[in-house]
Amino acid sequence: MKDRISALMDGELDEHAAEDALNQVGRDAEAGETWRTYHMIGDLLREDRVLSPGFAARVSERLGAEPTVLAPAAARTPRRWFPLPVAAAAAAVALVAWVAFAPQRDVQPPAPAPGPVAEAAKPPAVVPRPTVAANDYLLAHQGFSPRVAFQGMAPYVRTVADQRGADDRGQ
Amino acid sequence: MIARALAFAAGLAAGAAQAQSPDGLAWLRKIHDATQKLSYTGTFVFQQGARSETSRITRYVYPGGDIERLEVLDGMPREIVRQGNMVRCYLPDAKVVKVDRRSPDRSFPSLLPEQVNALTRNYDISLGELTRVAGFECRAVVLKPKDNLRYGYRLYADTASGMLLKAVTIDARNGTVEQFMFTQLTIGHVTRDMVKPRHQARGWRIEDAQTVPAHLTDWGLSSELPGFRKVVELNRRMESRPVSQMVYSDGLAAVSVFIEALDARHDAAPNGLAAMGAIHIYTREVANHRVTVVGETPAASVQRIGNAVEYRQPPPR
Repeated sequence: MKDRISALMDGELDEHAAEDALNQVGRDAEAGETWRTYHMIGDLLREDRVLSPGFAARVSERLGAEPTVLAPAAARTPRRWFPLPVAAAAAAVALVAWVAFAPQRDVQPPAPAPGPVAEAAKPPAVVPRPTVAANDYLLAHQGFSPRVAFQGMAPYVRTVADQRGADDRGQ
Repeated sequence: MIARALAFAAGLAAGAAQAQSPDGLAWLRKIHDATQKLSYTGTFVFQQGARSETSRITRYVYPGGDIERLEVLDGMPREIVRQGNMVRCYLPDAKVVKVDRRSPDRSFPSLLPEQVNALTRNYDISLGELTRVAGFECRAVVLKPKDNLRYGYRLYADTASGMLLKAVTIDARNGTVEQFMFTQLTIGHVTRDMVKPRHQARGWRIEDAQTVPAHLTDWGLSSELPGFRKVVELNRRMESRPVSQMVYSDGLAAVSVFIEALDARHDAAPNGLAAMGAIHIYTREVANHRVTVVGETPAASVQRIGNAVEYRQPPPR
């Protein structure tokens, strides 16, 4: 499930699989917690402005509750000697694993295969946000959108995305 | 029995008539006229998924023209001022003013009445409920797309002035993709001072798009997207590089195709799809050019247009 949540966040699941994964995140408390934790880790790595309070404690607590990370020997050892260092180590391992295996969301989608027509057939359900450079194209586009005729300049607000906020979670 | 069948048929006919109500079109014209004619100032929230941003918009109409100013109130004070066809975008963090002119051969943003009528080809237009937005009694106008190549819209217009108070973009699952909503609006009482840019911009870099109408014979679409037709072709500059632009529209949604030569500086740009609320951006390479497709349509429409872009070799001389 964790792999699937990671893939979901990176926009690597097709629409059907993404819907299943999202449903599970909504239904299953543990999956939901994993989703939030991964987002917090993502925020930390991207140095976003806002980190939810108690971030580290929640990650540690979550990981500390995972018996599978530890060797069987650990279960036989009296628990009260270990919880903090074990949780910290587990958190470190998880962070390293995240950096090593999970492409960051603002790194953009992979280059298309030589045959772009086939590639486009199934857009991923979770699509990354455009880079700040896209603002130039948005500005150039906006003047020709007939919506301006019904709404004045309001839609132009999309073309001046705050550079610091441009990689915030879009979903 | 026959009477009941007739009544049923009449009911069906009434239902069909409602799906394409002349009232809906009349309301769209009313919204359009209000957008062209009124001076106003107000604060609106733009919401896109979990993100929302508050901005102030002010429009000043004077004999012979109009000035419109949009200022983002959250975060960095970004600002856009339009006077006639010229749009100036002030970016204080980069100390840049971007200048964009809508091509002079077309009188955007005004729409002709027949263009409003043409919307019925792609959308079922009906009237929705009466509701209050920012203190104004509003009528909802619902545009339901006839296929999945475009989004649907719920527009809420002030019953007195026709001013658009709220606009919601809706996807095929009836979910909200993004919305604009005024939280405060004053119609009239606008002075020229209120549309002056707050940034002096002395010493800022000016990036002028230098748009020029063009006839782009080398590029086209191998197949058109149903309901969309080409409305504009032009050449422009972006930063300093030349870019060609073709715009396709169904009368309400628009998709721009940008084409630029690939060179060493820019070929690192990512290919693929990106999304920001209702806007999708799709990038690919064609014949040693970078093609960037931007549109306020579902991803599939932007991708279909992007994948149909083809280079047409000029005939040998």
